[in-house]
Amino acid sequence: MILDNATIRRMYSSENRKRVLWTLAFVALAAVMFFITLGFGVYNISVMDAIGVFFDHLFGNEVDPRADEYVWNTRLPRALGAIIAGAGLSIAGVIMQNDFKNPLAEPYTMGISSGAFLGAVLGIILNISIVPFVPDGSKVIVNAYLFSLLPVAIIAAFSKFRKLTPMSMILTGIAVMFLFSSICQIIMVTAPSESLADAYAWRVGSLDRVRWGSIPMMLGSTLFFSVILYMFAGRLNVMYVGDRSVKTLGESPMTIRLVTMILASLLTAGIVSYTGTIGFIGLVGPHVARIFVGSNNRYLIPASAAFGAAFILLADTIAKVSGINGLPVGVISSMVGGPLFMWILIRQRKNVWA
Amino acid sequence: MELKIKDVSFSYSSVPVLHDVSFELGGNELVSILGPNGVGKSTLIHCINKILAPTSGTVLIDGKDVSEIKLKELAKQIGYVPYSANDSFPLSVIDTVMIGRHPHSKWGTLDKDLDIVYDTLRMLGISHLAMRPFNELSAGQHQKVMLARGLVQEPEILLLDEPTSNLDVRHQLDVTKMLKRLSREKNILIVMISHDINIAAKYSDKIILMHKGSVFDMGEPNKVITAENLRTVYGVTAEITKDDDAPHVILKDALPMDEEEDDARIEDIHTFESKNAETQS
Repeated sequence: MILDNATIRRMYSSENRKRVLWTLAFVALAAVMFFITLGFGVYNISVMDAIGVFFDHLFGNEVDPRADEYVWNTRLPRALGAIIAGAGLSIAGVIMQNDFKNPLAEPYTMGISSGAFLGAVLGIILNISIVPFVPDGSKVIVNAYLFSLLPVAIIAAFSKFRKLTPMSMILTGIAVMFLFSSICQIIMVTAPSESLADAYAWRVGSLDRVRWGSIPMMLGSTLFFSVILYMFAGRLNVMYVGDRSVKTLGESPMTIRLVTMILASLLTAGIVSYTGTIGFIGLVGPHVARIFVGSNNRYLIPASAAFGAAFILLADTIAKVSGINGLPVGVISSMVGGPLFMWILIRQRKNVWA
Repeated sequence: MELKIKDVSFSYSSVPVLHDVSFELGGNELVSILGPNGVGKSTLIHCINKILAPTSGTVLIDGKDVSEIKLKELAKQIGYVPYSANDSFPLSVIDTVMIGRHPHSKWGTLDKDLDIVYDTLRMLGISHLAMRPFNELSAGQHQKVMLARGLVQEPEILLLDEPTSNLDVRHQLDVTKMLKRLSREKNILIVMISHDINIAAKYSDKIILMHKGSVFDMGEPNKVITAENLRTVYGVTAEITKDDDAPHVILKDALPMDEEEDDARIEDIHTFESKNAETQS
């Protein structure tokens, strides 16, 4: 059978159109979840009423101040935080899985999250601020931000002295993760119980702390690094051919790997320093998106971001109505994500990853 | 395009692999590099396209030292089809081949790139595979897709590392014949590593026979493929007949193994392979 040029082009563009449509479907899902989540929380208001409050405030109409306080000032930034965290952490997952050709690579396995946690623990329990003169309210965030950059900085520094293979880079990340975790354990063993509870709450990852004040920094950083990383999509596709062949296609694999890894680390730091370590999203987002749109990074990156956003919105909605006072989103994302992930892996016949 | 190898030596840390390799190639030819395992065939190829840097000596294309050519520029001149038994890509065939256009791609070249990819798929007779996932192909189809990726790079020199290693005889003949045709039609110098002496002899314009990290003999198949050369290089006794004016080898027996020599060879292969794995993974 011979296919002519026009037929192949038609098939190729219809394939790509399908990928865009799936991404749009994920965006639509995220939009629906965004409005639904506005109706959930401690304050009792129906979803429709909450949406009404949202639009009334948006268009400057008169709003009941109590409803406004809950919907506009509490739930809205929280929902935006969910979108930012879901999208950003999923993108970081895509990049790291690509860089290391390893389906398990994500901010968590690369030690980024444990770095953030160590920074937070230093602030919460020992009351230490890494940067002097930081106001008390931002101390934990600044600590977490700086410490979350440490693992990747260590890996990058190592690779200056010795030629590291992708596998030894991952192992370095895991080693740093264990090292940081054990330091955290030591600090926490001696901690008073009330700050211990704070530290635990931080560890599981929660959107509770996201307020309007956090949004500009979170959004700005996530947008900025996501756009830059997207510009690497073509080069990340080239990375699929293996390091030796990458060179013969005119790119330096180590440079691409280091640069995108550092960018992904900055992207992650800008999120987890506000939310704590939300687990699993760096795996769920990319792997689900991969099933629908394939592995071409030009489509995979946006699709993962959109699915990740929808997923965290859903998880946070469930988190808000779970337990007596709600649960941290990190618990739910892992609890929902785990079985979902297993179900997907079992159902899926072909191996999408490699 | 002229390829000149001048006194190239290469060692992996302290293990020497290539010693003073020198030769010149040019024009639209199909050249096969032959030699036993671990003799340094792949290493030689990798020194040409800068995957490795020679410990000493120079590689020149059209008189220019490759160490002074940027990777991006070199990628437009030298294409490479790796030894690819285990390669897998989570992409469709068309997207996999499109990666070969990377050195040339700029904003808005998608249309032209698709044309080139299509023409190449047609030429190799695999246009019907365009939308299939690369990982679901057979070994023969797989190899042709890799070849397509090397060709859409539009190089003036194409290097191939055992392009027929996983193929049945029909595909071996088909692919090698196609390489000869491509060298003429596309006016490129094609250099491939081969393990099949007869097929290489049948289609190659020149044979480079390697022995202990050096070029042992080089020239037309009839000159290089002799019973004596095969005895020294491969350690086999053989009878050479003629088929269609090309030499045809009938293997008779392996020479008794000299343990020490064999040990050295195996060690070479190990170092070579583990180093390779390191740069690859």
